[in-house]
This record gives sequence, structure tokens and C-alpha cells, in this order.
Amino acid sequence: MSKAAIEVPPKGGFSFDLCRRNEMLVKKGLNAPSFLKTGTTIVGLVFQDGVILGADTRATEGPIVADKNCEKIHYIAPNIYCCGAGTAADTEAVTDMVSSQLTLHRHHTGRESRVVTALTLLKSHLFSYQGYVSAALVLGGVDFTGPHLHTIYPHGSTDTLPFATMGSGSLAAMAVFESKYREGLTRDEGVQLVAEAISSGIFNDLGSGSNVDICVLTKGHKEYLRNHLQPNPRTYISEKGYSFSKKTEVLLTKITPLRDSVHIIEGGDEMEE
Amino acid sequence: MGDSQYSFSLTTFSPSGKLVQIEHALTAVGSGQTSLGIKAANGVVIATEKKLPSILVDETSVQKIQSLTTNIGVVYSGMGPDFRVLVRKSRKQAEQYHRLYKESIPVTQLVRETATVMQEFTQSGGVRPFGVSLLVAGYDDKGPQLYQVDPSGSYFSWKASAMGKNVSNAKTFLEKRYTEDMELDDAVHTAILTLKEGFEGQISGKNIEIGIIGNDRKFRVLSPAEVDDYLQEVE
Repeated sequence: MSKAAIEVPPKGGFSFDLCRRNEMLVKKGLNAPSFLKTGTTIVGLVFQDGVILGADTRATEGPIVADKNCEKIHYIAPNIYCCGAGTAADTEAVTDMVSSQLTLHRHHTGRESRVVTALTLLKSHLFSYQGYVSAALVLGGVDFTGPHLHTIYPHGSTDTLPFATMGSGSLAAMAVFESKYREGLTRDEGVQLVAEAISSGIFNDLGSGSNVDICVLTKGHKEYLRNHLQPNPRTYISEKGYSFSKKTEVLLTKITPLRDSVHIIEGGDEMEE
Repeated sequence: MGDSQYSFSLTTFSPSGKLVQIEHALTAVGSGQTSLGIKAANGVVIATEKKLPSILVDETSVQKIQSLTTNIGVVYSGMGPDFRVLVRKSRKQAEQYHRLYKESIPVTQLVRETATVMQEFTQSGGVRPFGVSLLVAGYDDKGPQLYQVDPSGSYFSWKASAMGKNVSNAKTFLEKRYTEDMELDDAVHTAILTLKEGFEGQISGKNIEIGIIGNDRKFRVLSPAEVDDYLQEVE
């Protein structure tokens, strides 16, 4: 219980001491670590009964596809889901953390979680890390006050929209939404439109690909359609089969026993090539 | 924990080797309202009296039985505010366990962590022990379980147990009535009868609380209407 002599920064505000140190290191010639951008197409739209979220399933590491079928639609609460673009680890960790906080909150209040609560927890966390947590999210859910759809940017700003897209394929997907979205879509029309938007991202953006994941959220009910569309099937086995040459015949078997003792000649001749 | 001026513990040994503060805490528990728990073959039931200080108190605002996770519930005897603090801490510990290991916390682990918290308050500077004993009911992969945690931080697994004012009568009653292969519904009836033994006044769904957890592994507190139904079955 003794008072330790730790230097505590003044309460409130940000401490930018490490930023100066980073700048100094870069001047001295240090290569600052670059961020791995994972291309993605994620979308969300509000339809008459709730919210539909969609995402592609490609995770990239530069020019390589790291995961052909990853899950980008994350669970936040039974009635709230979140699509994540940006650094995969950041989106996973941040949505996991907020999901945990909301579970605790639900236990304390005895009520269903609200989308604005998830929104505020996410944006305050991202803001406090000043954009270094590279997570761009599309948050959607249906709660007591109705269906909600929000976008959250890595620096902590948010938008509330009837339809939204994020990620490297967002322009391709937004083009589809802007031309075909209207209010009061039915569930099937909404799913169709989301699938089209994601497919547009998959085919026109290098950073997005593989399959389409969709999540339909309505009052008191959720439908997670994993791999709803698979426009890029991967055949692993050649249909013709592989033909290998016949096994070679064994003509002779000779076993040479190991020597019991070996004499080491120091300074001997080098081995001939 | 505690102000820096109080770096010494207020809970100190007596010459006879007892921790008097803990004895007093147990006395506080013993003068609290009766609560009990019964472990059935396919679930656990916990129950408590809910005697309010006046008829003017809104009984719907008081909930003595709380859930710690979806499959673990808890009831107490003793000081209500101390219980509230423990419930908050336990819920957080359960959620931290889940974040770390991505599995629901086993009942024994949660009981152990709660007991650790209670023990810390008997050995830290400037704090007093908690004035509650808890009955933790849970259903996990090991099946239905019932644990009692005391202010000292010791915990025991019980097949059936009672705490509070009427503890000796209640325990005697439970010893007579308990069978290993009891079903959850029978256990609820037994719990009601045990509470009725020492109950002053008219028992109803408004002045007792019952929490159950069955094979579905979902802990829930019965509504007053459901409790009244069980009461009618018992009569």
C-alpha cells in the first residue's frame, strides 16, 4: 500500500512524448513499420423490417491472399452485428472488447443492448487511439428504438445512414447502392441488393474477393447467412487426376555397416570434389 | 484497497487464534433473512425470503437473487449493499475469464475467484470483511452445482444448504427431505416448504424469491405469478 515513486502524467489530455521520440528515430534513419491494409468490401442497408449487413471474405497480406474465407461480420450482441475493414487484428480485438463490455452492461441493467451504446463504446475507444487502431466498421442492429445503421472511421468519427459501404471496394459497392437503393425494401430485395453490391466489390476490387457473407437483423431475430453466395468456387482436385510414372524396380540392396571406430587425421588432405 | 493511512489490517487475530471480525461478520449473516439452495438431479434451485421494511416499499424494485452469467445465479444472507458490490465484481471476473479463454467460466472457478475477493478483504489495510454469505447455483459441463461462500473466503459445495435467521431448523428440514434423485420441480416444492417452516406471516409470490437453473443451462428468477403457481401446488 506504499506510494510508489512513479511519474504520472497530469490527469486529462493526451501525452505526445512518444510521438517526438518516433520522429527523432525516423530522422536517425529508422524504417517505421508500415501498416498492412487488408482490402475489403463491407456494406449495410436498412430495409423495412430491420438491417442487412454484407461482407466479402478475402483477407490480404499485401499482394497475397492470406485467408480465402474469413469472417468479417462480427458478433457484438444478440441483436447487433458489426462488419470490419482495415487491419484484421484491430477489427477483431475492438469488436471482441466492446462485445464483452456490452455483455457486462446487459447483466447489470437486465435489458437488451442498444446500437448507440455499441457505437459510443467503439468510437470513444478509436478516438483515444488517434487513428492508430486501424478499424473501419459498419455497425448495424435492431433494438428497442428501431433499426440502426452506422459507419465508424478509424479516427473515431461516425455517420448514421440508411445505406453504407466501407473498405477498398466501397466505391464499387456504393455505385450499386446509389443506383438501386430505395426506402421500404423487402427482405429478399434487400438481400439481393446487398449481394449485388458485395459482388461488385469482389469482381472490381483486387483487395476483395471469394464469397459473400450476409447477416439479416430484425426485431428479436437474426439470420447469419455465411457464404450466401459463392461466385468463386475453388476446385482443389484436377478432374483428370494425376498420373505418376510406374514404380522403379529394385535391382540390388546393399547394407554397409557403420564403422566402429573412426580415426581423425588432423591437417589431412582436403576432400576431393 | 484502503487509505494509505490505514496500511494495517483491521482484522487481527485474538489470543485464542480466532479472527473476531469474521466471527462478527458471520453473526451479521446469521441475523439476515433466510435463504437456501437445493441441488436436484437435473438442476439447482435457490430461494430467499423477501421481507421488506414497510408495505410502502415497491417490491418489484427489489431483486435479491441475481445472475452472474447466463448459467450461474446467486443469492445471499446478510447485508444487501455488500452483496451488490460482490455481484458486480464477480460478473466482471466472469466476463474477463471469457475474454481470455473464450469459454464460459466454470462454476468452481467463479466461486474460487469470488472467495478470493472476500478473503482479500480480511487481510488488507483499512477494509472490513463482507457481511454476506453467498449461495452460488450453476450448471456447467460438470452438471448442476451449489456452493456456499462465507465472509472468511472459504467455500463449500453442498447438496442442500440454508443460511440466515432460521438456519438450524431449515437445515434439519432439508436433511430429512433431501433425496439424491430429486427432480427440479420437487426441489422447488421442497424449497418452498422449507421457507414456509420459519416464515412469519402469509407466504406469497411477493415476499419470497426463487431462482432456478435446469438442463437448458439458463439461470432465471421466477416471476411472482410463477411462484404463486408453485405455492398453490404445495398447498
